[in-house]
Amino acid sequence: MPQLEFLIKCGVYGLMGLGIIAAVGAVLLPNLFHAGLALAFVLVTIAGIFMSVGAEFLGMVQILLYVGGVMTLIIYTIMLTGRLGAKDVRAQNRQGIFAAIAAGFFVCWIGPLILKTGAWPQRESDSAPPLLSVEDLGMSLMTEYVFPFEVLGVLLFAVLIGAIVIARQDRPS
Amino acid sequence: MFFGLGILRGMNITLMNFIRSYTRKRGSGEIGALTTVQYPEERLPEKEKFRNFPFLIYDDKPEDLRCVACDICAQDCPPRCIYIVKETDEAGKPMKKPAVFDIDFTVCMNCGICEEVCPFDAIFMDHEFEIADSDRHDKLLYHRDDLLKTNEHFHKIRPNDGREVDTRLAEAKEAKAKKDEARKKAAEAKAAAKAKAEAEKATEAKEDKPPETEKESDPQ
Amino acid sequence: MDQMFVNIKAALVGLSDKVFPDWVGVLVSIAVSIVAIALLGPLIMMYLTLIERKVVARMQNRIGPNRVGKYGLLQPLADGVKMLIKEDIVPRNADKVLHLLAPILIVAPALLVFAVLPFGRNMTAVDLNVGILFFAAISSIGTIGIFMAAWGSNNKFSVLGGMRSVAQMISYEIPMVMSVVPVLLAVGSLSTNAIVEAQADWHWFVFTPWGFLGCVIFFLCGVAECNRSPFDLAEAESEIIAGFHTEYSGMKFALFYMAEFMSAFTISGMTTTLFLGGWQGPLLPSWLWFFLKTYGLIFIMLWFRATLPRLRVDQLMALAWKFLLPLSLVNIVATCIWHFLSDEAFFTPAAFLVPLALLVFSYWGLMKLNQPYMPEKRVYPLVD
Ligand code: SF4
Ligand code: SF4
Repeated sequence: MPQLEFLIKCGVYGLMGLGIIAAVGAVLLPNLFHAGLALAFVLVTIAGIFMSVGAEFLGMVQILLYVGGVMTLIIYTIMLTGRLGAKDVRAQNRQGIFAAIAAGFFVCWIGPLILKTGAWPQRESDSAPPLLSVEDLGMSLMTEYVFPFEVLGVLLFAVLIGAIVIARQDRPS
Repeated sequence: MFFGLGILRGMNITLMNFIRSYTRKRGSGEIGALTTVQYPEERLPEKEKFRNFPFLIYDDKPEDLRCVACDICAQDCPPRCIYIVKETDEAGKPMKKPAVFDIDFTVCMNCGICEEVCPFDAIFMDHEFEIADSDRHDKLLYHRDDLLKTNEHFHKIRPNDGREVDTRLAEAKEAKAKKDEARKKAAEAKAAAKAKAEAEKATEAKEDKPPETEKESDPQ
Repeated sequence: MDQMFVNIKAALVGLSDKVFPDWVGVLVSIAVSIVAIALLGPLIMMYLTLIERKVVARMQNRIGPNRVGKYGLLQPLADGVKMLIKEDIVPRNADKVLHLLAPILIVAPALLVFAVLPFGRNMTAVDLNVGILFFAAISSIGTIGIFMAAWGSNNKFSVLGGMRSVAQMISYEIPMVMSVVPVLLAVGSLSTNAIVEAQADWHWFVFTPWGFLGCVIFFLCGVAECNRSPFDLAEAESEIIAGFHTEYSGMKFALFYMAEFMSAFTISGMTTTLFLGGWQGPLLPSWLWFFLKTYGLIFIMLWFRATLPRLRVDQLMALAWKFLLPLSLVNIVATCIWHFLSDEAFFTPAAFLVPLALLVFSYWGLMKLNQPYMPEKRVYPLVD
């Protein structure tokens, strides 16, 4: 059904466009709160793109963790920092050069990968089952990648304990 | 006991209320029965001491209302919502009667002070409360004739107070009558005494010279 | 009867297939689902308001709305008209765009979640294979909407309410997701349909010890997630007016209200799906079973509201972090024990009793650990 495919394509390109606009907004918006919301929107569009290419699990986790968790905390801190909504607070810094260098490295790294993937959407995968199901993901996490997984777990645990230690009130002597 | 027991107990109470609101008769006063009175169709019986807006009382004819336009209530009304103008006769002399007696019910706060201070038992608090109107300027400014109600009405809504006021009025009337009589008698006596004195004077004058001692000892 | 709605949809799609090329049929199928959900959401919300007012009234020995239409059945319509024709006030210093977008951003996720609810046999609008994850992810977007409403109103009460609400949502999301994990362990799938299918033949998860506990935790966290009493600190009237929707009026306010009621429905529907066997049930059509169970749970929500006073902020946080979260973690362990002892059978005494003992013990332990600080009764020796 080429017509449907066309519609889906339009939707995905629209999503990408919106994502780019929101990303530019996240960088340039003068109000930090708006910038935070724009960043959240970027993450949602990225999740949408994930879902459109069949990585539903990844998309959902993206929304759950980044939008529901990380972004919420970021915006929370922005709101807690009372005066940040004021006009005279600068939302930009002057590290454009370093940022450009970092971005250049990133593009050099990921560009070849993008060029390697070929045209989108890939015909073959239309009828074939998704390459990676949730079970596969779980299995590989628990077998092949169990060491990094455990290391990350220990790291997060250490972070949790550290947070508790920092947040704990000093005992009255 | 265990965590959450109190919550369960509380929830049991609300659940029983929920169920009993269906099984028990509305208004029966049992625990859990509905207490709502569906107002416009159903009403609770009015209590005698219930009070809303004041009305002016008259005895037989609307013309001879008890109010004497003394302005006491208007002075004592806390929000000053009573406005009184005395009636005047042809000669321009003020009469003991209000020509204008307005109460602004949008301002009246139903305190009942007017009833308490009126020395003539002329103003009382009514049970009428459904005076809502869409026009708050004209319709809720009550004039003298709108405020007039009979003594029978007063007796109907407040039988005990009506009886009390009536006996008080009757007593006052009786007392007044007695006093009048006494005064009349006194006046008569005075007149008689005067007449007598006059007569005596006349006789004395006839006798030309009254005896001095006699006059001095007279007051005793 | 059972497949009534499915057949209607199939007939509509078949009709379009006769006239149009087949790709229109797909669009029609999507459109029918979307329209059905878009109508169902507001309809459910409207009548939930009526049900709530009626039930709470009965619990307080009142009658509740009964003037508009028979038994007050048209009351929601009257309310809707009232909301529509009310003046829409935007505070002068508000962030106009955020103020406008916030109610939409709160309603949209609440409505989107309907897509993965299995309303009956073959009646899931989108049978995603990550359905449960979709539910958790999409409902977490609502917090952003609350932020926008709170910040955009430029009102201190709004910001306070927003802060409270978000702190609450973040805290309760964790035990909520943790209490779903046992079900996923038992079923081995994230799809809502598969979860319901796994509970056929009265194998409802609520009949197992871990299922019962999971059900209670999930439901409590859900009540907290949609800011309903007794967890309604975010809109505590007596403290912060109306919280994050203080500055909203008219239809925008109605949208907040709608989101709240729709998420109350989805939470109940999800609890039904996960633990109460979803649309499984004898005799009656499957969708009726689903709605019966869901409304039963909604009744419990209203029952909470009529009974329990609002929690304090510290109590709220303590409940989530010190009680529900450890308990849901223990619950996962209990599920694993159940899984290995039961040997594919739903009910075996050992598989029933061992997790039960574990759960009761940890419940007792947590209760002891959470003993609130009770100051000793003061004695005044000089007075006596
Ligand atoms: S109502 Fe009573 S107090 Fe008022 S003016 Fe008349 S007589 Fe006087
Ligand atoms: S009831 Fe009170 S407020 Fe009303 S007219 Fe009488 S004195 Fe005035």
